[in-house]
Amino acid sequence: MSAMPAQFEMSFADALLNADRPVPCGITAHNAAIPTRRFAVYRNNVAVGLRKALQSRFPVVEKIIGEEFFAAMALVYVREQPPRSPQLTTYGDELPAFIAAFEPARELPYLADVARLEAARTRSYHAADATPLGADHFAGFDTDAVAGIRIDMHPSTEIVRSPYPIVTIWAMNSGEQELAPIENWHGEDALISRPSPQVEIRALPPGGAAFLLALAAGLPLGRAAEAALAEEPNFNLTGNLAGLIGSGLVRDIVFPQPKK
Amino acid sequence: MNSKNVIANATIAGSFAAALAMITAPAFSAPKPPQPTMDKCYGIAMKGDNDCAAGAGTTCAGTASADYQGNAWKYVAKGTCTTIKTPKGTGSLEPIKS
Repeated sequence: MSAMPAQFEMSFADALLNADRPVPCGITAHNAAIPTRRFAVYRNNVAVGLRKALQSRFPVVEKIIGEEFFAAMALVYVREQPPRSPQLTTYGDELPAFIAAFEPARELPYLADVARLEAARTRSYHAADATPLGADHFAGFDTDAVAGIRIDMHPSTEIVRSPYPIVTIWAMNSGEQELAPIENWHGEDALISRPSPQVEIRALPPGGAAFLLALAAGLPLGRAAEAALAEEPNFNLTGNLAGLIGSGLVRDIVFPQPKK
Repeated sequence: MNSKNVIANATIAGSFAAALAMITAPAFSAPKPPQPTMDKCYGIAMKGDNDCAAGAGTTCAGTASADYQGNAWKYVAKGTCTTIKTPKGTGSLEPIKS
């Protein structure tokens, strides 16, 4: 066994996730040469542990489809896509894409985007801490230079765009809003951020996602505003600038190089 | 880029000044106000999420049988999806009839 550790590890991992595989060669116990039952306990705990990790990361998805359905779906996911990192906080990054292709959940087309929002929420929670620049920092700016500044976004900033009202669905299923039928069915772009210890989730105004994504991509403020305007003629620059600064999304600002 | 989408620097500067003036009232409606006085530490976890330092991935299940079978699609969703009304009706997640 020690001569071929890689092969042993592969067969062990394979047997962990597939109940029809025999106990891996080399596993033994004091009371049984081949401890089938003991290995089954271990195998089940691995699956249940991973399922619980997914449950704790996607509580709203679970609430929408119910515990039984979620558990069954998680088990399929665990078998198909076991963890590739020892950090379980990142486990489930691929669950939204899995749900989008998951036939039994096809009736709920918004479910994958709700999962994307929940995955982004955990990433935002575990992102590096940073103190955002407050409005007072911008007072006394040379306003002529404003169009050229670039924004160093807060590391916790995440944006999830959707043709479904995912922020409303998330809020109703996380206890932030009363659960009720959604009469005004429209797409919502979600802003997820954590300028303080509390993760905040907001619905962005029209053009807001295009504006923030352009800024995050490194475009100067004026170019980002133009990108947002090109996508959304009703883009409100003043409101979005106030949102950008007031929501604590600015970690730092980079001034353009002075012209020679 | 379409020339009508080019924004004059003066417009941006004006919007910027107006934005700073209105920041006293948040522009993006937040479902919950931030709590900037709290320190991040163990014990403060996201609402609806367990503390990832110890909770997730650990289990005391200790049974040999699989807790849930993969063929559980026979279950009709007992969650809230039927409350979410879409233009195509509510979700039901009844078994796929093939």
